[in-house]
Amino acid sequence: MSEIIMSVENLTKKFPVSGGKFLTACDDISFHVRRGETIGIVGESGCGKTTLLKAIMNMQAPTSGRIIFHGEDITKLTGEDKRQNYRHIQMVFQDPSAAFDPKMRVKDIICEPLVNFDLIGAADVEPKAKELLAQVDLPPDFVNRYPHNMSGGQRQRVAIARALALEPEIIACDEATSALDVSVQDTIIKLLVKLQREKGITYIFICHDLALVSLFSHRIAVMYLGNMMEKLDGDKLSAARHPYTRALLKAVFSTEREKNQYIEILPGDIPSPLDMPSGCPFRNRCVHCQKICAEKKPAFTEVAENHFVACHFPLEIQ
Amino acid sequence: MLLDVKNLAVTYAKSAAPTIQGVSFELDAGEILAIVGESGSGKTTVIRAVLNLLPGGGKVSAGTIIFDGKNLAELDNAGWRNLRGKDISMIFQDSGAMLNPVHTIGRQFVEYIQVHSELDKAAAYAMAVEKLTLMNLPNPENILSSYTFELSGGMRQRVGIAMAITFQPKLLLADEPTSALDVTTQAQIVGELMFITRGTGAAMIIVTHNLGVASYLSDKLIVMSQGRIVEAGATQEVVENPQHAYTKSLLASVPEMGRARYV
Repeated sequence: MSEIIMSVENLTKKFPVSGGKFLTACDDISFHVRRGETIGIVGESGCGKTTLLKAIMNMQAPTSGRIIFHGEDITKLTGEDKRQNYRHIQMVFQDPSAAFDPKMRVKDIICEPLVNFDLIGAADVEPKAKELLAQVDLPPDFVNRYPHNMSGGQRQRVAIARALALEPEIIACDEATSALDVSVQDTIIKLLVKLQREKGITYIFICHDLALVSLFSHRIAVMYLGNMMEKLDGDKLSAARHPYTRALLKAVFSTEREKNQYIEILPGDIPSPLDMPSGCPFRNRCVHCQKICAEKKPAFTEVAENHFVACHFPLEIQ
Repeated sequence: MLLDVKNLAVTYAKSAAPTIQGVSFELDAGEILAIVGESGSGKTTVIRAVLNLLPGGGKVSAGTIIFDGKNLAELDNAGWRNLRGKDISMIFQDSGAMLNPVHTIGRQFVEYIQVHSELDKAAAYAMAVEKLTLMNLPNPENILSSYTFELSGGMRQRVGIAMAITFQPKLLLADEPTSALDVTTQAQIVGELMFITRGTGAAMIIVTHNLGVASYLSDKLIVMSQGRIVEAGATQEVVENPQHAYTKSLLASVPEMGRARYV
């Protein structure tokens, strides 16, 4: 297994809300990120995926916990050290049409990070932009285009080229393919995999599409209401043992008829994060809930190699 | 036959070439038809044309739409008013955006019922409560006194569906009704849409880019690309045995658990 390049340790983020209460967006999250791997983070809206990503990107300081990267706790960095740290972690956003300045040409978009860190001069912008466009399979004459002159898939390629410009070690993708058509999604994912193999990039891939995550991630973390519920290898998602992961799997519609026979509807809504259930956060929607689930929050325990579950009664593998 | 669309073409004012062309399909009562395709393939234009709600100067430039024995092209404004929201109603991607954010849901729901019926306010209110209860919404009185932004996406979508089924329409048009929702909520809403159509005998046309949802709930499937139908037929047949190269490539790019992994 490859080396660990980032460790998130006991990360907690609380936002103050009116009435002196706190909203816990991330509660005691810990995981390692290994070089050249894709870690998929799955969960429904409001589960704290984006808060987690913002902490990793160093855009928002956590309430407690550490993020170790290059032997340093990056949440403590300030000033120029913090700015230099941004070189190593880049981001691709969900909506490529909102991620660019509409008045900038593609070459300026792609090379802006390089110019910001004084790595290239104005004369080098165009050749460097062409080189980066080639990496994302776009023709060189795109350098003078504007974002509105491109399709969604082409724009997302430009976004990836911009993220690649600084040769980062980690690229965080926040629902990077959710706004795209399936065929375009397919080509973008293939491109990401190709770049990962060539350059050993690590992806932190946030996504709500379980099927896609299972096909693309080496490691999968499932979140619910700010808590990590299950963490397992990407190819073993069907062996998930947490009732919530199982419920998510059963809610995925398929084009294959046999799979659709197992669709099961998880009743109820996600509780408000301001009004968290005691004990296990999933207990009021869980069919296997027992008395202890309301009293004690389940600890994150290893049930098999590289497979962690936060549940008092993990299900048997079917 | 409930709906018979023949050789439909729609042209928008800005471009000379028709956006959709040669679209024909038939729909019986109680049937669910799914239209799938990528963005820009014209699938939304088809159902908007059925309801004569084409945006931006769009016009039906050729073809006929026969609904319940009536040629829709011959309807005047009063005729459309009678039809829309009563015999044919629409469910949007985000029902929250269809409602006015500065009025309560109850006020708009009651107004909608009163426009289409002779009921007084109290009776209309009772009817709204009844429809919300049917959509598994707990505490309907509470919802009627809320504003759209106070509800979750799934609840807003249930309110939208409750309004759409108020007058037991013969035809429901759903434009990406689950695309903005989380997977577990999506499964709930899909289940409820099936329950409604099977329960009331209404027909439904659902436009979606999610082939999984389309395969699960529809009887018939239309695959569109660049404004034309490339393949149509019984859903199961099209999905399991696609004939057209485009359908094949579309199905192949759907991520499916257990298929060949990218990494």
